[in-house]
Amino acid sequence: MKAIEVENLTKIYKSRSRRNDIMALSNLSLSVQKGQIFGLLGPNGAGKTTFIKILLGITHPTLGTGSMLGETIKNYKNKSRVGYLPENHKYPHYLNAEQILKYFARLGGYKSNDLTGRIDHLLKIVNMEKWKKVKIKKYSKGMMQRLGLALSMVNEPEIIFLDEPTDGVDPIGRKEIRDILLNLKSEGKTIFVNSHLLSEVELISDKVAILNKGKLIREGSVEELTTTKQVYQIEIEETPKNTELFNNTNYSLIESNGNKYTFKFDSSESLNTLIDEIRAKKLNLLSVIPKKHSLEEMFINLINDNEKQNL
Amino acid sequence: MKNILTISDYTFREALSRKIFLTFFVVSTFTLIIFGLIFATVGISELVPVVSMNGINTLDNVNAELVKFFKMLIVVPLFGGGLFLSIFSVSSFIPNMLEKGSIDLILSKPISRSQIIWGKFIGGTAMVFVNVAYLVIGIWFLIGIKFGIWNIDILATIITITFAFMVLYSLIILVGILTRSSVLAMMLTYIIFFIFSPLLASRENIYMLFNNKFVEYLLDSLYYFLPKTSEIGKITSELALGIGISEYQPLITSFLFLILNLSLSIIIFSKKDY
Repeated sequence: MKAIEVENLTKIYKSRSRRNDIMALSNLSLSVQKGQIFGLLGPNGAGKTTFIKILLGITHPTLGTGSMLGETIKNYKNKSRVGYLPENHKYPHYLNAEQILKYFARLGGYKSNDLTGRIDHLLKIVNMEKWKKVKIKKYSKGMMQRLGLALSMVNEPEIIFLDEPTDGVDPIGRKEIRDILLNLKSEGKTIFVNSHLLSEVELISDKVAILNKGKLIREGSVEELTTTKQVYQIEIEETPKNTELFNNTNYSLIESNGNKYTFKFDSSESLNTLIDEIRAKKLNLLSVIPKKHSLEEMFINLINDNEKQNL
Repeated sequence: MKNILTISDYTFREALSRKIFLTFFVVSTFTLIIFGLIFATVGISELVPVVSMNGINTLDNVNAELVKFFKMLIVVPLFGGGLFLSIFSVSSFIPNMLEKGSIDLILSKPISRSQIIWGKFIGGTAMVFVNVAYLVIGIWFLIGIKFGIWNIDILATIITITFAFMVLYSLIILVGILTRSSVLAMMLTYIIFFIFSPLLASRENIYMLFNNKFVEYLLDSLYYFLPKTSEIGKITSELALGIGISEYQPLITSFLFLILNLSLSIIIFSKKDY
């Protein structure tokens, strides 16, 4: 079942002169399955935050439609099923963590009688229980981020939107946040993450979409996006005595490092041909591993290619 | 309704967090203490010189004149000073709410944009109402004890002072939504409150200066369009003195101004992207 679905979503920020209009999103169609951790990536100004804001009714779309949990995004009451951690969030400075959580739980229509218990539980999850009664003006950036995360969960939402959730958080805190997100996923929640930290996204996301200049340029699982097609690294126990093994019209050697050889094949049959050749020569095959880029490498290559195409 | 009350509640708390409302409360308490001390230590006969005695020759008349004097001593400064402080304090409510990172959180909740505006409006108004009521009820109580006159006319001024605030606050909300500037919202409201309204209330004197039909038409239009805080101030004084409301037009046209401002605020706020 789909948690989020948008079709042909377009957002143009109009200015007084048409020449300065900004196309933040252009005909974006996207869907997120329930229970997934979905990472939305893109350089600054790609339209990631605009996308979330449209889903949450903070910004109005110029064109296109969208739905969350089967309800149109125009239905503001449906937002009781959604949690949100905005980038650069600001809370009323005169309140403490407990009061802020109470305020937004009430605004979010939280119905349980045990709100205090829920608040204590959330503050414990984000390691902020000692700061419950302290005014937030005394909090550090990382603490504000932890509080924001607790706030995004306060209504027991089905979908949680996180815009740069690990911004300003130290490495230990980042690991804790990752664990919290994976735990939420195990509870069946859908998590939508906008982040610049691609390594973080790579570690937790089931699916990733990449936006550039308001357009969707790639979408798929982390596995699909990072695997280089038909390139494999093959490890053989001893070095072959002659190199004729590597000369074939159906594959080519890209690089070698000791007993590890990286080949590019024109089909999966070619890979099997090479394996047969190795075994025929009585060489001991140790491993066949599909070659992968990191998400970051893939992202940079993709954005650069997209920029070149747009020139 | 629950959403409106939640926003109102936290707007009230925001107001409480501002030192200016605390100052208002402290000044009110100080005023009540001073009045209490004067009433406790000074006899009625010693207070007589503070009022004109022309034609007053009975004790009841003396008491009535003194009560009027003390009512005016509270109501007139409260209308001007209380509204001045209140405008200053609430002018940043909307711009603060519209700050990036703050508005996103509120709008991501299951609450309509009109409910947010109503919540802010009711919360700010409630704060002023409580402060004004505290001082006016306090002074009514002290006067009642001292002079034995428990006339409730002065209590009606709580309503008129709060009403004047509501009219000006609606303008603050509209300007806040349009410009996100608390300074501009505050300045514009002060200009209307302290300059335009008194000037337009005595516009007939200006007609004589210009003797021009267009100027007359322009001033009349402005007069009927803008809130009539000067006249509401006059009505407040008359209510305190037990005269009653002689003319309803300033209240009705000011109320229409309030409705127009709030309607525009809701429409514009609903259409804006944040």
